[in-house]
Amino acid sequence: MSTDDLIEAFRAQLRDDPDVASAVAAIRALLGFLKRDRGETIQGLRSSLLDAIETLSRVDSSVAVSSGGELFLRFISLTSLEYSDYSKCKEIMIERGEIFLRKVSLSRNKIAKLCHPFIRDGARILTHAYSRVVLRVLEAAVESKKRFSVYVTESQPDQAGQKMAKALRKLDIPVTVILDAAVGYIMEKVDLVLVGAEGVVESGGIINKIGTNQIAVCAKAQNKPFYVVAESFKFVRLFPLNQQDVPDKFKYKADTLKTSQNLTEEHPWIDYTSPSLITLLFTDLGVLTPSAVSDELIKLYL
Amino acid sequence: MPGAAERGAELREQMEAFVARLRGGGGRPRSEDTARHTLALLRKIIAHGHWGSAGELMELIRAEGRRMAAAQPSETTVGNMVRRVLKVIREEYGRLRGRSEESDQQESLHKLLTSGGLNEDFNTSYPTLKANVIEAINELLIELEGTTDNIAMQALEHIHSNEVIMTIGYSRTVEAFLKEAARKRKFQVIVAECAPFCQGHEMAVRLSKENIETTVMSDAAIFAVMSRVNKVIIGTKTILANGALIAVSGTHTLALAAKHHSTPLIVCAPMFKLSPQFPNEEDSFHKFVSPQEVLPFTEGEILAKINVHCPVFDYVPPELITLFISNIGGNAPSYIYRLMSELYHPDDYEL
Repeated sequence: MSTDDLIEAFRAQLRDDPDVASAVAAIRALLGFLKRDRGETIQGLRSSLLDAIETLSRVDSSVAVSSGGELFLRFISLTSLEYSDYSKCKEIMIERGEIFLRKVSLSRNKIAKLCHPFIRDGARILTHAYSRVVLRVLEAAVESKKRFSVYVTESQPDQAGQKMAKALRKLDIPVTVILDAAVGYIMEKVDLVLVGAEGVVESGGIINKIGTNQIAVCAKAQNKPFYVVAESFKFVRLFPLNQQDVPDKFKYKADTLKTSQNLTEEHPWIDYTSPSLITLLFTDLGVLTPSAVSDELIKLYL
Repeated sequence: MPGAAERGAELREQMEAFVARLRGGGGRPRSEDTARHTLALLRKIIAHGHWGSAGELMELIRAEGRRMAAAQPSETTVGNMVRRVLKVIREEYGRLRGRSEESDQQESLHKLLTSGGLNEDFNTSYPTLKANVIEAINELLIELEGTTDNIAMQALEHIHSNEVIMTIGYSRTVEAFLKEAARKRKFQVIVAECAPFCQGHEMAVRLSKENIETTVMSDAAIFAVMSRVNKVIIGTKTILANGALIAVSGTHTLALAAKHHSTPLIVCAPMFKLSPQFPNEEDSFHKFVSPQEVLPFTEGEILAKINVHCPVFDYVPPELITLFISNIGGNAPSYIYRLMSELYHPDDYEL
């Protein structure tokens, strides 16, 4: 399967199902790549997969695609350890890959089920930018007959907050779009903050759309709970200690990385929120405190 | 068989009596006694109930457990014991199937990637399952007996000579803890009386019988005295999954005062008080009793014009707690999630 076919398959996934997480689309594209791979050895498979993941991150440089790719690689390694015969191994991989994708498609519902009891009747929620998982959680809260109102930050530079507001209005939830700069002003009125995440790092912190860190700091200062909802395939093996430590390839879009002369003049798209500011993380593995995240990652990677 | 029907009826009766006692909520039952009663009842259900496979047994236990827990939601030890028994059943079943203990137990990324898609269905019946489960429950009961002693044994590491310790209300675990330390060390204790039930008085009387220098003071003076205190040691009703506490009313004030003065706050509680619930807004842990204690009914004129509440419990967030001392040792609040995964299975968090 050539690189163009792979990129086309990835783009097709995103087009056909706008609700799918980019990591899942990446894993599906990689599974398709695996099915069509003609190699005869695990090493060959691994190196062609590494190239494929490199290609995909040149299309979409987000953390999610990177974590999805790394998870897939880990999946291959784990399976190849159990079966030494290559063709049998490949069969099992494909079978398990399908099962994994099926399970992962249920993860948003699991998260919604865990999270919506934390939204009290009459609550005022603050959220940031556009997150499909948060949307699902709020949908579940509406289904359980709770009344609440939502403040969404406008989230420049792409105004993702407007998209979120539109989707929430369709669910008949009272929404107010606020300026990113107005978070400190609105925080006293808010009961809880609920955000999604593009990536969850080893320390239990999150990588999310720029502006999330500010919101977390304000929430901490005013003692409001800060909840994060994220699926488990977003866990990445990064341990940033500050904003500088987040790799440049995640901070800027793929095109910017290719064409820009001086990255310091570009605006980053994401920031890092430290675990001390996060109250709880809702994942399909359960409700986790930030300290429990590293345990999950260790169980997988070591 | 008349014997079985009789036993069935007797079991029914005991269950009803237990549920009625829980619902009545009178007195102040020891959490350990509640836990022991629950385990004994569950053991009877396993021994005499009608079930064929592990799946049916778990359903039966779950149904009975739900009833018992619903009778008195603030009595979380009942639910905890039910969940322990469910985990025991899963483990014994797994062992009979020949699976190792670690695999298949927890949800994890690893399991997501490697499982072949088969879910445990618990439908095979094994004749030795009943005996194994009952034996495991007997072990649990023995473990329960020893919890207070295990906690008290750690007292000498934490209490040093000439220290001033503060506590609130009456906790039997803290009483045993302090008594054990008093055998070898000389220290002072300040007890906050914990209005409106003033159980601090009873605590002070018991401590002074052991020749510990005790002072009783009102709850309002907690902050004023805190600067002189070296450590705060308290008991609790429940430990929640995020490391927070549901403790007697007044504990949050004590914890905030301790945080302000950077005084370590130590919580002595056995592991059966650890509940996998999170403090979500359902507020099901609250228990309100008659406001007679706060404003007696003789003050009729005022009562007509105001609302009076008498909550029994308080929520203490995990950031205010320094250390948990339990029968398995000392742990930080951020480690509670790990202890929980060892005691309970994630599918049982929701009974």
